[in-house]
Amino acid sequence: MSIPKTSHLISSILVVLLAAAPVPSEAHHSFAAEYDSLKPVTVTGVVTRVEWTNPHTYIYVDVTDKDGKVTTWGFEMGPPHMLQRAGWKKNSLSIGEQVIVDGWMARNRSQYANARKVTRVSTGEVLGAASSGGQTLTGNPGGARPDTP
Amino acid sequence: MRALALFVLGLGVLLPAATPGQQAGSPGSQHPDLTRPPPRGPDGRISFAGTPQEVGNWEGPPGATMIFNKGRPAVPGAALPTNLTVDQVPFQPWAREQYMKRQANLTADDPHTRCKPSGGPRLWHTPYGIEVLDMPETKEVIFIGVGAPHSWRIVYLDGRPHPKDLKPSWYGHSIGHWEGDTLVIDTVGFNERFWLTREGVPHTSKAHLIERISRPNFYQLKYEATIDDPGAYTHAWSGGWFLRWSPGNEPFDYLCQENNRDPARMIGPQGEH
Amino acid sequence: MSSRARAPLAALAGLGAAIVAFYGAPVWTTSAAAAALGEVPPPRFSDGMVRFDRAPGEKGYWSLPSASSLIEEGVSVKMDARGRLANLADASRVAPFQPWALALYQYRQKNDFVDDPMHECIGPGNPRAMLTPGGIRIIQDRNYNRVYILYGGGNHGWRVIFLDGRKPPDPDEVVGTFYGNAVGHWEGDTLVVESIGFNTRFWFSNGGLPHTEALHLTERFSRPSHDVLRYEVTIDDPRTYTRPWKSAWTFRWVPGDIAEYYCETGRP
Repeated sequence: MSIPKTSHLISSILVVLLAAAPVPSEAHHSFAAEYDSLKPVTVTGVVTRVEWTNPHTYIYVDVTDKDGKVTTWGFEMGPPHMLQRAGWKKNSLSIGEQVIVDGWMARNRSQYANARKVTRVSTGEVLGAASSGGQTLTGNPGGARPDTP
Repeated sequence: MRALALFVLGLGVLLPAATPGQQAGSPGSQHPDLTRPPPRGPDGRISFAGTPQEVGNWEGPPGATMIFNKGRPAVPGAALPTNLTVDQVPFQPWAREQYMKRQANLTADDPHTRCKPSGGPRLWHTPYGIEVLDMPETKEVIFIGVGAPHSWRIVYLDGRPHPKDLKPSWYGHSIGHWEGDTLVIDTVGFNERFWLTREGVPHTSKAHLIERISRPNFYQLKYEATIDDPGAYTHAWSGGWFLRWSPGNEPFDYLCQENNRDPARMIGPQGEH
Repeated sequence: MSSRARAPLAALAGLGAAIVAFYGAPVWTTSAAAAALGEVPPPRFSDGMVRFDRAPGEKGYWSLPSASSLIEEGVSVKMDARGRLANLADASRVAPFQPWALALYQYRQKNDFVDDPMHECIGPGNPRAMLTPGGIRIIQDRNYNRVYILYGGGNHGWRVIFLDGRKPPDPDEVVGTFYGNAVGHWEGDTLVVESIGFNTRFWFSNGGLPHTEALHLTERFSRPSHDVLRYEVTIDDPRTYTRPWKSAWTFRWVPGDIAEYYCETGRP
């Protein structure tokens, strides 16, 4: 078996590593300046609002803790067109439905995060968030890139 | 040796599995066939677009940079093999300091993020797709960008010179010509209100930019920029990246100003949760 | 008529003819414009399709729209270039408003457009962008069978029209945009474009005419002569207006290239 060239091997290793880690900059801004890729967060709550806007769609989720206190979380996702390419429709999420959102925390200590994916509790359906943090235009999360010639 | 071979074999299994249902070599796969030649017109003229049966456009890869940064992962295609490291870039001292400051703040202050138009290389790693309209009959090439600022840029290939009394602008004045299959663009007249690249490469209004765009295969557009800016650098230098073909991607409506919340939250590295 | 009266009249007529010959006919009616500028036929592609943009080797673009604001065709009211009525009492004549829409239009007019989202560069959207100063170009992409409209004013933006026969999306399922989802087809030399799927975050006319997500536009582009582009738009928004209504204007072909301009909010 032939040994691949070192550069190809390094490229392949990097591709594997990157498939796991969020890659900054699929959005119009620096991911790293706003969100912390080392601080993942998962939130379960009820959808109260969806803003289908550019440059980012935002969903707002009310989370109730065991003492009954309600906190509102905001999640940033990709622009509406990219979400729609990934299968979303304007009526995909209903106000009042339960969702689980996975993402990365905002740096500014607010209850904001960059969403990686949204799971609808009632159906189990998983919707990618098409935002910065690893999703590409073709929808492959953290997908590999072509090797340089 | 055996460990290495097993490791490589492992990679070979792992990577295609990340995108189930896609054959290696097909347009949507993670490993497009880079030996596939680019399309050409009936007269042999190279095309930077797709075909009616194979629609798509160009996506700047995540992390595309003109300068290799030590410690940043070099995503394949995100930098040309000939890119310089930071230490090799012929910055003037003020420009190096400005670049380092922008980097240290994790590019939180990028004017592009505030929906400002951004000329030169900045277009070429704007997300969501770039269309190249080659118009030989009217001797122009028009670039259509989807992401901020959702605008169009025109290059004149009719042999005109740069005007003498150029008012500084966001995109400058671009004239171009073909060298074989490479489109060469010459731009002057930039204002100083934007960043040349998203990593924060500085420039002044003296900047003279040469861009060379070619298509080595169907799936890649090679973008190389040469910056000749006696206000910021001690001599000209070059860098660039490969854009990748985004199969099926079409231009879409997008307005950066619509609901732009990020600038207020982009606080750079000092934030801690 | 006596010969003494005839002479000054003849002189006046001669003077008028000289003025028209020098400046060209005024462009406030499409038929007058076509007559005055109609000598040169529009350029065509080699397969006969009319060209809306430059002929090979040409420069130029579309500018000098014959209207400055959206008003129902056939209605004549005093209005400035920003779309502000000289007399608020004329408001109900501008378009066939539903009562709520007339009230909103009057409110916007009375307040001199303080709430216009274009103050924040949000817009102009369609069809307002077809009247925003700065010029336009209409690029026919024969490869992908699309048309791009490039705008010089507003946000120096663009919109795309797909001519591949695709069905427009369901407006209840698709997120509304500023230019809508546009599909087009040819009827002879006229490009007919249907757009649906608009959001309501912009004013679709500079004078503050309201619209809802039910907006459906039908546009007709034609080039009766080299120098004239005719644009006609039908507004069909049953939640805002009591019936569909239309407006039309022309553009003149002018020499040169579109200048760079970008809307700015004034914030850093």
